[in-house]
Amino acid sequence: MKRRIAGILCLGILLASGSALGAQPALKPFERGTWQRVLRDHAGRPTLVHFWGVTCGPCKVELPLLGQFAKDHPDIDVITISADLVPNLPAAAQSMLDKAGLSSTENFIFSDGFVERLRFEIDPAWQGDIPRTMLISQNGTITTIEGSAEIADLEKWSAEQRFSH
Amino acid sequence: MVRSGLLGILALACLQGAAHGQMHGQHASEAACEEPMLRCATKATPAFGHDGTLWLVWMAGGQVSVANSHDAGHTFSAPVQVTARGLNLDWGPDARPKIVVDRQGGIALAFATFRDEAFNGQVLYTRSADGGKSFAELRPITANNESQRFEALALDQDGTVFAAWLDKRNRVPAKQAGQKYDGAGLFFASSRDGGATYAEARLAHDNTCECCRLGLAFAAAGRPVVIFRNIFEGGVRDHAVMTFTDVSTPGEIHRVSNDDWQINACPHHGPSLTVAPNGTYHVAWYTNGKARKGLFYAHSRDEGRTFSAPMAVGRPDRNPARPFVLAGAAETVMVWKEFDGEKTTVQMMISRDDGATWSPPKTISSTTDTSDHPLLVSNGRQSYLSWMTKADGYRLMPIEDQP
Repeated sequence: MKRRIAGILCLGILLASGSALGAQPALKPFERGTWQRVLRDHAGRPTLVHFWGVTCGPCKVELPLLGQFAKDHPDIDVITISADLVPNLPAAAQSMLDKAGLSSTENFIFSDGFVERLRFEIDPAWQGDIPRTMLISQNGTITTIEGSAEIADLEKWSAEQRFSH
Repeated sequence: MVRSGLLGILALACLQGAAHGQMHGQHASEAACEEPMLRCATKATPAFGHDGTLWLVWMAGGQVSVANSHDAGHTFSAPVQVTARGLNLDWGPDARPKIVVDRQGGIALAFATFRDEAFNGQVLYTRSADGGKSFAELRPITANNESQRFEALALDQDGTVFAAWLDKRNRVPAKQAGQKYDGAGLFFASSRDGGATYAEARLAHDNTCECCRLGLAFAAAGRPVVIFRNIFEGGVRDHAVMTFTDVSTPGEIHRVSNDDWQINACPHHGPSLTVAPNGTYHVAWYTNGKARKGLFYAHSRDEGRTFSAPMAVGRPDRNPARPFVLAGAAETVMVWKEFDGEKTTVQMMISRDDGATWSPPKTISSTTDTSDHPLLVSNGRQSYLSWMTKADGYRLMPIEDQP
């Protein structure tokens, strides 16, 4: 009983503090080393990692399509990473994710001001253009799509994952 | 007792959480601190006045401030805040405040803010007529309310201030007509009163890439030239230049290079342009096209109609980025950033034959945390690297002529 009360209190305080600080607990910080952890955590599972940003025009168009893709493909681990340069807009990022139907996917936000280093850990050749999608197969093969992904290409890749499974 | 104990633990947990959040926030920020002072700046833009005074405009803590230096950046005057209150300044990677200083010491400024929660931009401008002691109230550069970003300013020989920016107003009629509109329009306006008021904004070119800085210079008196990432047929985001016939009349666009970068994305990585006293255009840009990838340099000796073959710049394994090129009377200097996984360096090379050949690249500065783009500025006799870094503050370094 006490535990339950504590739990409710915790939830209440967390929600209150979350809204007071404008923070969204659903967004995970993406920091040094996060990329390797993401790869480890999803090893052996087909994983789609989508890099986007709140000020990126093409991202606004693509995000809802990706939301539908995630809904249609529960067998694919969908991860989004807000990769804008200033990581102080979790509320705006969360709002766009919610509207795109991506509330329940694993969502990160760049949380290190030294973005060159974050990007270098992911792909040394990446200069920061977004949107960008990385398709990670069960065997770890990474296919990178620069710019908006065609949903048909994602469907094709998804079907290949089922086939290889 | 139990309840108060629980509340105490929860309160402690909340406090710890808040403290962690603060520490986390500082680390996460690209700014060293959150005050309006220069040390906290994320973007700083220099310009020399005719009398040799260095002027610097910067954004820090949501404010835009200006100061000057009479000792080549060693010390600065007390800053004058241009913004009356904290604004949601455009923090896009290629955004920065702009400054030009005319022969009479008048200072024209422009910068963009995010006007709403959808990140629609607005270009604001102001002017100081009293040698930087005070600035006029900020005014929008155009009455139109569609998004504007990535403004650029340049000063003509007669004191005319020319402004160009990326503007999304033409999306509206396209949308109403059920048509797709890619990118943004390149718009321009000029000011005959040193940047106190601007003429009505006009379109130079539709459908340009909407998220990259412009390069702007004067090719000759009355003839602005702008380089921009265009959207060519098939969504190819390669670079183009346009030389204006006069400050009111746009010219033809010419492709700088056929890189074939077909991408529906925001590269956040715009070009650089300088015009040498003999009229040569020197340009530098980033591409990730099918034809070539990386940083490139080219020049044009026919007012931008044709360009030399693109010359690759920097080490491909070090992510060369953010090029800036500046032509002086005797030499042309180019700087850019490289990153080795831990450290960012500024690389520099010099050409003494108007861009035909270049010295080997040389590391002239470095930092171990995030940094602004490296910029070049000249007082007519000496060129300097101007570079804002999070870890080491603002730097102004003379470019040494020796390789």
